[in-house]
Amino acid sequence: MDPAALNSPELQHFINQEKEKAMVNEMVAKLTSVCWDKCVTGTPGSKFSSGESTCLSHCAQRYMDMSLIIVKRFQSMH
Amino acid sequence: MDSFSAPTSGPSSQLSPEDFMGQLKTQLAQAYAEEFLETVRGKCFDKCITKPGSSLSGSESSCISRCVDRYIEATGIISKALFSAPR
Repeated sequence: MDPAALNSPELQHFINQEKEKAMVNEMVAKLTSVCWDKCVTGTPGSKFSSGESTCLSHCAQRYMDMSLIIVKRFQSMH
Repeated sequence: MDSFSAPTSGPSSQLSPEDFMGQLKTQLAQAYAEEFLETVRGKCFDKCITKPGSSLSGSESSCISRCVDRYIEATGIISKALFSAPR
């Protein structure tokens, strides 16, 4: 591929899109791992209990709330 | 040989931006799948093979199947909670 093509807006747009997808992907994967460890305590059943699925959604949402607090805490430090 | 190293073999195999994007997408999808598989292996090994015996027992294999299904379901629950749940 012609190196100049790397600067084409079309390709830049594509790369930015894929970057964003990768970030979302990574966040979902990370939260699934963390919340799985917290919420699925026994051996996995053939269906999640309502407690387990509620715990999973709450876990993801609280993790985001926490991230925000941490960012704010650091911002107020300088 | 992977698809990225192939086009370096000569000027006749110049890669168009379209092909490049297509190949990148395929390779990314492969990388995501591999990473997910590796995570599921780790999680289900922890959950289901608590005391490795001389062979995999029936209850261990059924635990593994359920674990894989639940992990996929958990991934769905998490993305929903993040992106489509009313807060």
